[in-house]
Amino acid sequence: MDTPMVAMLLAWGLVVGMDLVSVGQVMANRPLVAGSVAGLILGDPVSGMMVGVILELFALEVLPLGASRYPDYGLGAIAGAATASGSPGILGIGLGIGVALLVAWLGEVSMSAVRRFNSSDVRRRRERLDRGDVGTITRVHLRGLLRDAIRAVGLAAAALLLAQLARRWSPVDLETAVLVTIVAIGIALATAVHAAVRLSGGGRGVGWLATGIVAGTLWVVLL
Amino acid sequence: MVGHGDRRRHAVGGALVKRGMLAAAVRLFTVQGSWSYERLQGIGAAVAIEPLLRDLPGGVGGEAYRRAMGRAAKFFNTHPYLAGLALGAVAKAEHAGVDGEQIERLRSILKGPLGSVGDRLVWVGALPVASAIGVVLVALGHPLLGVLSFLGVFNTVHLGIRFWGLGTGWRLGMAVGRALSSPAFTAAMRYAGPSAALAVGFALPVAGVWLTAAFGLNDKIGVAAVVVVGAVFAKWLAPRLGAARFGLLAIVLALLGGAIWP
Repeated sequence: MDTPMVAMLLAWGLVVGMDLVSVGQVMANRPLVAGSVAGLILGDPVSGMMVGVILELFALEVLPLGASRYPDYGLGAIAGAATASGSPGILGIGLGIGVALLVAWLGEVSMSAVRRFNSSDVRRRRERLDRGDVGTITRVHLRGLLRDAIRAVGLAAAALLLAQLARRWSPVDLETAVLVTIVAIGIALATAVHAAVRLSGGGRGVGWLATGIVAGTLWVVLL
Repeated sequence: MVGHGDRRRHAVGGALVKRGMLAAAVRLFTVQGSWSYERLQGIGAAVAIEPLLRDLPGGVGGEAYRRAMGRAAKFFNTHPYLAGLALGAVAKAEHAGVDGEQIERLRSILKGPLGSVGDRLVWVGALPVASAIGVVLVALGHPLLGVLSFLGVFNTVHLGIRFWGLGTGWRLGMAVGRALSSPAFTAAMRYAGPSAALAVGFALPVAGVWLTAAFGLNDKIGVAAVVVVGAVFAKWLAPRLGAARFGLLAIVLALLGGAIWP
């Protein structure tokens, strides 16, 4: 990875990380988007897309309700694409997903830390906020955005470092690489099935899910 | 009867509010930017509504403006895309001179239903449907179209809700509850879950075949076995650990297995 590539990945990490909660939520953070763009930057769009699709299946479980915590699959997808890029065939995919899930989890933890800092900031300025001091309100908001920007870039840098470590000192032989990829794909599909059952809401919804699975199966068998 | 002076004041106020609408709409994209356990979206909501309050009697810094900003910065949480509906209604109520306690009650009453409607429409409906469309198109060999379709489908719903919400909230004011009982909303809520289940169900085998295309028969059987075993364990472990940690655990076990197995 050369310097311009690292700079582009960090910039993309900033966009992806902040899109998770703080700015936009236009779904640049979804792994399908984050992984595909990261793959393009890395010059290996196929690995980026495969990592993106597998993590997208994991991400189907996310329901970002209220104060819930959820993994940062977008930054995870950048880490996964950086780990898997350049590997022959799909051999790097399993390890890439492993690194991606670790980064996604770290993203969840770091988001909680940002929220705690924001809370402490709000507590210290409670009186001015209650008085409607627009300057204080604006500054507290901007500091919240800055904290999330630091979180996003910091985690993107950590993701690239972890990817480099995994690529350079990976103890994985050929058979293990295949095994890990099989497990990564299988678990992604399994969690997607679990998420789909939950989305369907049970009852008649499960019927719609079954109809979809039958239609998709017929599509791949017949076409 | 509206006098000449009243008409002129309304026109000036209307123009100011119209300018504020665009700024408020843009700021709403950062409504969760300072999310805290103390006030949740409260600070972001105050920043977003501020342009709509500048022409309150006394102007910026006036008593009405400061009181309204103080109320706006209090605890608030709802679906981020529908926050504009609540904030537009609150701004209209502030302009109409509604009592502060009633405005706080309006904010409080709107939080739950807007959150629930938004979660159902967006997180349970639009997002999984768009995601499934994107995954299917990528798996069928159209990566660019897949990513663009995902973003296009999702953000058509997303941006539509955001801009409709702010405008409707401002138009209806204290009567904003009417917006949520429209037949379009009711129908969309009813079909959100089934549509998502159908779309994700279709995407699963298509994605599965694409992801395992490079494998031999034995490896494909291996993936199918992991899906079955994984689905059984996911039922218990995924809700407790979350999918990311559940997946990570499985991959670590596979790495250990690969290292130990001769």
